[in-house]
Formats: sequence, structure tokens, C-alpha cells
Amino acid sequence: MSKKSRKLIRSGVPAPAAAEPVVVPARPPRSFYFLPESEPVSVDEADLHELMKLWRHGRATRTIGQVLSDSYVTLFSVLLVGAMVTSTVINAQHGMTGCETEACNASRLLLPTAMAFGSFALALGLSRLFGPILASAAEGSWLMAAPISRRRLLRGRLVLPLVAAFVVPLPLTLLVGAMGGMDWWSVAAWSSAAGFGSSALVALAASEQTRERTLLLKILQTLATVGALAIGLMVVAMAGNWLPTQTVAEDSALRPAVVVLGAVSLLAMIGLIVATLRRLELIQRARLVSGGSLVSGMQGAMFALDFGLIRDILVERRAMAKGHVRPTKGRGLGITALIWRDAERLRRAPAAFIGLGVSLLVPYAVDALRLSQLNPLISGLALTAALVPFLGSLRVLTRTGGLARSMPFKTTEIRTASMAVPAVLAAFWGAAAAPAFVGIASSGADRSVLDGVSVAVITAVAGLFGAVRWVTAGKADYSAPMMATASGALPPTLIFNLFRGIDMVALITAPVILGADPIWSAALAAVVFIGLRGTFNMEEMKAEQEAAQREMAASKAARAEKTRIPPPKR
Amino acid sequence: MARKTPVLKIAGLRKAFGPVVIVDGFNLEVAAGEAVALTGRNGAGKSTVLRCLIGVDRADEGTVEVNGIRASETNPQIRRDVATVIDDLDFFPDLSVVEHLDLLARAHGIPDPDAAVDEVLAEVQLVPQSGQLPGTLSSGQRRRLALATAFVRPRKLLVLDEPEQRLDTEGLAWLADRLVAERERGLAIVMATHEPLLVEKVATRVVRLGDRGRVIEGSGE
Repeated sequence: MSKKSRKLIRSGVPAPAAAEPVVVPARPPRSFYFLPESEPVSVDEADLHELMKLWRHGRATRTIGQVLSDSYVTLFSVLLVGAMVTSTVINAQHGMTGCETEACNASRLLLPTAMAFGSFALALGLSRLFGPILASAAEGSWLMAAPISRRRLLRGRLVLPLVAAFVVPLPLTLLVGAMGGMDWWSVAAWSSAAGFGSSALVALAASEQTRERTLLLKILQTLATVGALAIGLMVVAMAGNWLPTQTVAEDSALRPAVVVLGAVSLLAMIGLIVATLRRLELIQRARLVSGGSLVSGMQGAMFALDFGLIRDILVERRAMAKGHVRPTKGRGLGITALIWRDAERLRRAPAAFIGLGVSLLVPYAVDALRLSQLNPLISGLALTAALVPFLGSLRVLTRTGGLARSMPFKTTEIRTASMAVPAVLAAFWGAAAAPAFVGIASSGADRSVLDGVSVAVITAVAGLFGAVRWVTAGKADYSAPMMATASGALPPTLIFNLFRGIDMVALITAPVILGADPIWSAALAAVVFIGLRGTFNMEEMKAEQEAAQREMAASKAARAEKTRIPPPKR
Repeated sequence: MARKTPVLKIAGLRKAFGPVVIVDGFNLEVAAGEAVALTGRNGAGKSTVLRCLIGVDRADEGTVEVNGIRASETNPQIRRDVATVIDDLDFFPDLSVVEHLDLLARAHGIPDPDAAVDEVLAEVQLVPQSGQLPGTLSSGQRRRLALATAFVRPRKLLVLDEPEQRLDTEGLAWLADRLVAERERGLAIVMATHEPLLVEKVATRVVRLGDRGRVIEGSGE
């Protein structure tokens, strides 16, 4: 912060003093004007940045020192937790280094490699989504339209994505490598390769952004995703003894190759940054602003912890990018039409099946890791995440009343119909995952076939209802009484937003995790279903009651009419 | 001559947001074949009346009945009878224009949904956009799609909140003609509008709202 800004804050002056009014000299009347009146002057972008910084500082109400002194408890907690985590990681690394079995060696190599591939895929995915170079809508409207150098204005925007792409995968790969028992040199090699590799891919994405191309990024992202999944699958297969572990080399043998990969990534990153900076002048405003708008929309949703809204923004954006579909005819009349349209969606968006397929690996992986007791919870959560994309129509029909109001059905009918296709998918998932719940992946069967199938069904139902809860939960209600928390007053629904979906899975699977009869889980699932389909809608119940009363009154009147005895004729 | 049974009956409607009273003691009766235009300055309470009418907002006091049934947004009978075009209409992001209309026509059990959809689609001039996803439509085209969703399904009461919004001159003329035809077919229409053409050509009765939804011109009954 500059001295001037600090002085401004301390003096309590919110903004720089208004400039002296400029006295415009009177001009002789003319019948025409030249536009612009004056000669164009070149703008110094550095001055522009300074001016924006000054305005921002002028509006700040606290200095950095004040902010830090207020949050010292948080900082202290973070340092303490960080020290504990570091100590745990070092201990785990010491402990695991001693394990020299083939399974240990295999997982020691494969897990950090899968993490690195995952980081590459994530870096490319986020870069394609946001830009990676972006500008806010205001900058797009005011600055991009002005005759200023885009290169000078935007070159600083590359720093944040590049640093983030390096800083985020680095500790994660380090953690996975160290926990797996890699020696520290290998950990450093793998972590650096993941960090530099991700940064290089972000630099590549920036370079492609200046050329308005995405094909190469799509191919690389697909390859990285497939690589991460394949390696993850290998880990599960080896843990379940379905694949010989001796096929995997030791990490120290591959270390030089990984070091070379990191160095090449670093050089590639530098080269791509230079190339991008050269072409930055040609970058298109539409692409920059769309990323900025997406960020601001997602920031707004994040403040309300509305993850559903974040997903809506992404879905809407994907639909806009697609723009056009080949229309298909519906089938059936009434509620069947709604179900058929959901079935039709499966054909239109087959990518969602990848997530469902990956979630099917989870119960087998958890079983292979001998965590069968927690399998219903972990697999249920994975299924919840995988089923959310299949509940698109339920989401739209519940987020605003407009579309639901134009359909002649009860809310319960609409919700039940919208759950039909995902329920069928969950049933298939349950059938395919049943062997994992019997205990096929681990050394011996943990449960009888009947029990295993019951638990698989319970898990599938929990996953389905978790997803339904996730997509149908309302927004945070700021008009309700607030709850006192360490972070200040918060609406209770805001806190629950964090756990929506998870709560249903935990509730339904709790009895089987605690060793109770699955019938208890089934009973809880039935109660959850009644709640999720909107059975207790007071408005609807009142309307039904009134309709019943009217019918009763009408039938009473009709009966009275029938039994009325005509007066005797004289 | 006996008065027709009202399709819509609003009695003593009151709606306030905190201390701000938007509408108080509002009454309105609309019979089949009648078109009522609610007019008035911004903030007079036109949209609030319509939102209470279709049950999106709950009235603090008063009753709203459609064909003798208490209006509730979730009542399937009300959903069957009342077609609405107000600002909260959402679209499925992954369904095209024609698929939206097809779904609605089928949901309402129209025997020949294809013919009904083709007719409405041609009428709102969205045939070239039939395969487009709603997110890519212009604001005017989205408005046309919203109107099409009301016209593709059976209805007894049509509730429109500023239907003229974002329509071009040609579209406005079409809308006026279409609403006149709807009215002549015996449909009841309630619309909030600022458009003189719709008021003059379509409305059989104009209710001008002042402060707190007070009727300052025309009659609610």
C-alpha cells in the first residue's frame, strides 16, 4: 500500500478530494463540430493502473496491519494446524518408507502420478472454463473499448492463474507422495513436475486463447483425464490383488524422467508466456469478458454457499456454447411425457455416464482398501455426485415455480416423475456395485450375498436421495432469524447448504454402518422420500382439503335433492 | 340479463412487504370473454396483484378464486386452467425451443401435440429457431417463446404481466390480434400493461391503479 493511500485511510477521507472545476472558455458559435475536438493522446496503461489502485485504496476502510491484527486467531490456528499436518506427514513418510512390499512400491509410484495427471486435467479444465486470462464486465465495457494497449493492461492477469496452477498441485502431490512413503527427492521431483506441468498447460491455454483455439486443449484434457482414471483403476486393481504388483517399477527408477519432465515443463512455460505476451494485443474481448462474468457470478453464488447455483451457471454456459440441438419428438401424454424427456436427455448428454462409471469404481476401491464398514457412506456420496447431472429437469422445475406452474400436475407428481430415470440408473448402479458390498475385492466375503445386495440397494437409494436433496434444496433465507457463529451472524440455511446431500446419505446409511439391520435404513429412506417428493406442501394440502369439502357439500346437496319429498297435491 | 359466472374473483386483496403496503382492498371480477387491463405507474401494484392472483406471492388478506377454486400455485386444477406469462418463467437449458412446446403440449394431454406445436411455433415466428437452446435466444425471442408456452396448452384464464416487453412492432401487432382472438373464443384475460395498443384493442375493461393498488379509474367489478 502506498504512503498516500495509508495517509488517506488514517485521515478517514474516503476518496480523493474532488478536482477543481474546470473553467471552459466560451467558444464562438459554430454550425458544425469536428469529433473528436482534440487530437487523440496516447494513454499510459501504467498510470491507468495506478489510478485504479488509488481509487481502491481510497475506498478501503482498514489497513493491512489492522486486518492482520483482527485475524490473528485465525492465522495462529492455521499455523498450528499446518504444523500438525506437516508433523503427521513426516511421521507417515518415515513409517511408510519402511514398507518394501510390491504393493507398497506400486502405490508409492502410482498415487502421485495419478495426482499429477489429475492436476493437469484440472488446470486445463479450469483454463478452458475461465479463460485463463479474464477481464471483468466493467473492464470489458469501459477499458477494452478505449484505445489502450491490451498487452500492457492484461499482462499482469497471467500471473495469478500461473501461480495458482503451480501452488495448488504442488502440496497435494507432495502430501500423496510423502504419505505413500516416497523418499524426499522423489517427492520433490513429482511435486515439481505436477506444479510446473500444470503451469505450463495454463500458459498453453493462454496462448491458445489469444488464437481463439480450443481443440488442442480438449485433446490434452481428455488424455490427462483418461491417464488419471487409468492409473486410479490400476491402484484399485492392485489393492484388490487383481493385477500383479511387480509390473510397476520403483519410483527411484523413474525419478530422472520425472525431473526431465519438470524441467521441460518449466522451459515450455517460459516460452509459452513469451509467445502469449507477444500476441496479447490481439486477444478478443468477448472471451475475456465471458470468463470475468463467470467469475463474478460464481463469487456471488459462493457468498451464499449456493453450489447448485454455481452448477446452474456452468450448465447454462455449456448450453450457450452448444447453442443448437437436433430436436427430438416427445412420447406419451401427461406425466409420461416428462419421464420420456428425461430418458431422451441420456442420449443427448452421454458425458454424464463417465461420472457414473467412475462412481461405480468407488465401492470396489473402498472395499479393496479394507474400509468395507464405511463403504455405504463413501460410495453413497460418490453416487450422489454422479447422479446430480441426471437431475437437470428436477433442478429447473424446483428452482423457480414458472415451469412447474405451467404443467397440470401436483408438485409430488412432478418430483416423483423427475426422479424416475435417475432411480433406474441408481438401480443399475446398485446391481453392478453389489459384489463390492459382499466383499469381493477384499480377501474374504464380509457379508452374506443377501446382506451385501441389501447394503448395495441402501447405498444406491442413499446416493439417489442425496442427489435429489442437493438439487432441490432452497437458497439461504436471509429473512429468517440468524445464528451466532465465530464468523458473525449467519442464516441457519447457509450452514445447511454446506451439508445438503451429504446429510441424506449419512442419515440413510447410518444404520448399516453402525451394524443395525438394513431394514432401519430402508425405513429412514422411506421417510426421506416422503419429504423429498414434497408431500407435506401446506398449500397443496389446504387446496385438497377445500376441494374435498366442496365435493362433500356438492354430494350432500345432490343427496338432499334426491330425497326431497314433493309436497302433496291437493 | 343474468351476469356471467366470473372465471376470476378477487376480493379484498391486501399485500404488504414489511411496512410498505403495495395493494389494499383490491377487488376484481373477470368473466369468460372479458379482457381486463391493469394500468398505472411503476410501483402501483399491478405485478403484485398478478403474482397474488396466480399464487406466486401469498396475499396477506383477501381471497382469489378461479372458477370457484381458491387459487394456489400448486393446485393442479389451477395449473390446468391458468396460463401465465410473468417474469419468473424458467426454461430447461438443454431443451430446444420446439422441445419445450412439445413437452408442455404433451403434459397437458393434447391429442395431436405435433400439430399444436407447429401451429404455435409458426405463429410466434420461431420456426428457424426451433432447434436452438433458450440461452442463445435474443430477449425478444425468449419473450415469444414464453408467450408460445401459454398458447400451446389448454387454458381458461390468461394472466400476462407486461406481455409487450421486448416485442418488436410487428410482434406487438400480432400479440394484440392473438389476444383479441383468445377473448372472442371465450377466454378470460388479465394483463398488466403500459402499451396503449393492447389497452385499446384487447381490453374490454381498464382498471387504473394508483397508490396501494387503489382503483383510481375503471371498475374492478
